[in-house]
Amino acid sequence: MLIGTVVGTVWSTVKDPTLCGVRFLVVQPFTLSGESAETLVAVDPLGAGIGERVLVVFGRAARHMIGRGHDVGFQTAVAAIVDRMELCDGRCIGPVCAQDTPPAPPRA
Amino acid sequence: MFLGRVVGQVWATRMAQDLAGKRLLVVEALDERRDPAAPKVTPVVCVDPLGTDLGERVIVAFGKAARVACGGDGDLAFEAAIVGIVDDFEVPLAPPAWRALWPGDAPPDAAGGPG
Repeated sequence: MLIGTVVGTVWSTVKDPTLCGVRFLVVQPFTLSGESAETLVAVDPLGAGIGERVLVVFGRAARHMIGRGHDVGFQTAVAAIVDRMELCDGRCIGPVCAQDTPPAPPRA
Repeated sequence: MFLGRVVGQVWATRMAQDLAGKRLLVVEALDERRDPAAPKVTPVVCVDPLGTDLGERVIVAFGKAARVACGGDGDLAFEAAIVGIVDDFEVPLAPPAWRALWPGDAPPDAAGGPG
């Protein structure tokens, strides 16, 4: 599982029949250094919007999220929309980038 | 499975039912090849059934192993979990940063253990 920011939406008409009616999001993984990582596409059963922070799951957990027990042709899904993430360096990551707080000053 | 350090915690309201009530921790992998200040580290979010504190070193399992460790039967909406809290380790290749309580901190003295 990883945390990422929703940066876009993807539409597809010709696709695997098990993927009818699902919504695809483009997610930019969160990195500790703040550098950008390779984006990924995730199915979103929760209704996350662009800019929101989400928890992405992979593999069978994702198929369980999407298909509710049925086999589906996808392996990445949004499992939660993040309210807050606190890191040990004092950073607080909000639901959207604009609500992030910077790291605390170095400890003595 | 990998060895990591807990560096944060995540809270969410809108989420899969399977995740409700689960403690979600952010774990940074400890990699002997990586400079601790190296960029582009994507931390892994793990379910924590053990009550791990921030800063502790942990063993993380993926996939069905993670779901079984959290008492599931395999059909749960997560695939990473903390399955062990590390008491101590002996890895000759490990950089001193592995023993620091927080990334970027000075490691404790050799006698101090992993904190």
